[in-house]
Amino acid sequence: MKNIKRLFFWIILCVLILPTHGLGQQSPQATFDQANELLNSGEYERAITHYQQLEKQKQWSGALFLNLGISYQRLDSLGKAKYYYLKASDFEETASKAQQALSYVNSQFSHQSAVLPKLPWDVATTWLQKNIGASTLLAAAIIVLNIGILLFIARWFIPWIPSYFRMGSFVVIGISLLIMATAFYTQYISDRYREAVMVTEEASIVENPQAETSLVSQAFEGYTFTVDHRRSGRHPNWSYVRMSNGLYGWIPTENILIL
Amino acid sequence: MKRIGSFFCVICSAFLLAGFLPLQAIGQSNVSVKSTVTQTTIYTGERIQLTVEISGDFNDVSRPELPNFQGFRLLSNTPSTSRSFRYVNGQSSTTYSYSYQLIAQQQGDFRIPPVTVTIDGEDYQTEPIDVSIVDRNDAAQSGGSQRPDIFLQLEVSDEQPITGQQIISDVVLYFQDGLEVNSYQPVPGWKAEGFWKEELENTQRPQATSTIIDGVRYRKARLLQFALFPTKSGELQISPYEIVVSVRSTRSRGDSFSSFFGGFGGNQRQVELKSDPVTLNVQSLPAAEDSYYFGAVGNYNISRDVSAQKATEGESIEIKTRINGTGNIPLITKPEYELPDGLEVYEPQENSQLNRRNHQISGNKTFTDVIIARKAGHYTIPEQKIAYFDPSQNRYVSQTLPALNFKVARNPNTVANGPSAGTMPVSPVTGLAAWTTPAPTDLLSHWWFWIGLLLPIGLLVVAYWQKRYTDRMSNDRAFARSQKAADTSNDRLKRAVELSEKGKVKEAYNMLQKAITGFIGDRLNLSEAGLSNKDYIQALEQQNIDAELIKNIRMLLDKCDSISYAPTTTPEYLKSHVGLAQSTLEKLKKVL
Repeated sequence: MKNIKRLFFWIILCVLILPTHGLGQQSPQATFDQANELLNSGEYERAITHYQQLEKQKQWSGALFLNLGISYQRLDSLGKAKYYYLKASDFEETASKAQQALSYVNSQFSHQSAVLPKLPWDVATTWLQKNIGASTLLAAAIIVLNIGILLFIARWFIPWIPSYFRMGSFVVIGISLLIMATAFYTQYISDRYREAVMVTEEASIVENPQAETSLVSQAFEGYTFTVDHRRSGRHPNWSYVRMSNGLYGWIPTENILIL
Repeated sequence: MKRIGSFFCVICSAFLLAGFLPLQAIGQSNVSVKSTVTQTTIYTGERIQLTVEISGDFNDVSRPELPNFQGFRLLSNTPSTSRSFRYVNGQSSTTYSYSYQLIAQQQGDFRIPPVTVTIDGEDYQTEPIDVSIVDRNDAAQSGGSQRPDIFLQLEVSDEQPITGQQIISDVVLYFQDGLEVNSYQPVPGWKAEGFWKEELENTQRPQATSTIIDGVRYRKARLLQFALFPTKSGELQISPYEIVVSVRSTRSRGDSFSSFFGGFGGNQRQVELKSDPVTLNVQSLPAAEDSYYFGAVGNYNISRDVSAQKATEGESIEIKTRINGTGNIPLITKPEYELPDGLEVYEPQENSQLNRRNHQISGNKTFTDVIIARKAGHYTIPEQKIAYFDPSQNRYVSQTLPALNFKVARNPNTVANGPSAGTMPVSPVTGLAAWTTPAPTDLLSHWWFWIGLLLPIGLLVVAYWQKRYTDRMSNDRAFARSQKAADTSNDRLKRAVELSEKGKVKEAYNMLQKAITGFIGDRLNLSEAGLSNKDYIQALEQQNIDAELIKNIRMLLDKCDSISYAPTTTPEYLKSHVGLAQSTLEKLKKVL
């Protein structure tokens, strides 16, 4: 009888707690739909608040970033709009729309930056990051490494395997190590250098991370930079950047959003 | 009597004129009463003139009620009077002057008390005036002054001002009797480093008054007047002021109140005069209790308003902040406001008007923030607390500016031409979205990486060990015999049991013996043939095997020898020996 009472108590408790938990955490799709309605009704700031709530919860999608970009664009905050369009372009389902939006928003900026072509090695690394990814490269390297090791071992125990299999196994293992090194290098580059978009109207790029120092260049809203996180880490509130025209300098971090 | 009659005529005329004025003008009362003396330092026995001047718009005025004068004697209770009337821009103004002659009687510092005047039934009082009376004989004995007969001096109103406080600097010319100043010309380029300076307007020509410095009578005249605002604290020096004066020597006329600018004549010369620098000890502002101070020092009235309560998207709205009063108006910066999101803010405009009269800088400054709302809605600029420093009270005076509200309506044209109407090629994505959670970017955090890396390494180690074993088994005969010894002996023991079950006891014991000796021979790599039981026992003894174990082995081998010649033995008996042999060989495996 006592056990039945205790069971009954726990069931009641679960019934009371579970719906509360369910209400407290709205599904990302529901929040997204709500934000879309606000966007359509012209309440851009409230829509942004809802979208950013999802962004903070790590519930990401191409549609989320695309709509965030559109919201900011309607608030005339073109730098932030560009930032989110760039994020949306990383998602297959919104890549095409994001590229169109980027072309449009880039034409709206008051200042356009000259673009210096990247070095071939940087192009290759960027291509690997965007199209394959470091994790995929690493997984491929692990598979190839295991194949190479198996080939090498097989030669010990299976006498009829030709002798060139041994050399072949060395080649396969070497390739796997090369792919693995490429994966780690790609990851290192991805972690150290990140793209950033300037979101304020105007800022100075200076030679040193100090308020009083020589001016390198003037930057304007929508300019893109490559941020060096390793160098920037030593100076809080400052970021060491490479401008798209090849110049290097420091910019107050508050002026940029890092992708 | 003549004067009194004239006075009444003026009064009557004033009343008549006042009757034509609008009632509003009559109602305004702007009356000032002040008293002045011709000199503030005089010798005993000398006269000074006390003048009470009443100016403004009034109807009835009484004769001044003179107080008792200490140190002076009033020559006559009947003053000499003068009056004037002005009517400018619809405003009438009357000025009365009553002049009295006083004779200095006692040596010392005295104060001429306030004089009371009743105007339109209301009493007004003048400010008291301090006057020094010097004994002529004492001054003559002091030996005279070391000062030149003409010199220039900068006189400041406060030598220990606070940063930003307005101080007045007078450029005063002193010259002795016998000199007449015809004109003066300031030398351009005077700088007051560390100060913001504004020249004050002086509509009157410089008036020379008499004074006595170190027993010598000088005449002094304020030529110019500047308002200075220290911009930093510490010891600041006002650099010397230079002027060129045109003077001429005159015969002593004994008239110390002659006109400051005399006529041209003989003995005229140009004199370049330079004042001494003046050092001020500028105090820093007291620490502000909060961050609302915006750089204003003085006495101000501050307000702000918004140009429109209603606007449409994209339409500009102005927030005007008006500051008027007395103080460092040119140095005031705009108070910062917290503006809500959605407002585009442009560079604020700044406009100021300075009034340089009345021996001080006053005026107003207006900051205009131009904002544009980019979306419709109700906007509220919250109330803002600001503070300025009042040197007269020696404290910060704070004031709260009220909140500003305005409404921005949607602009229909903006919607029609908005981004969704075609200029922007992309519309929002609605409906179901594919949600992902960003994967960890650290490669080393992938579990499969470690499995995939450690598995082939482990496999390689195991395979290598296996390969080495296989190679040794095939190449090292002694090792192979040793590794196979246990299996071989087990096979032989099974074979011995089988033979005994078939009744072949002799062969069975031979097999048992072979199992034991074979195991020992394989383990110790002894020759496979030609060895006696004794040889095997000796070999074991050389390996320091436990004596009990050797004893058991010896016993088993002896049994095998003896029983192979005694065919009556039963299979069960042999099985007991096989069991003993198995346990003995197990022990032997552990030590060999």
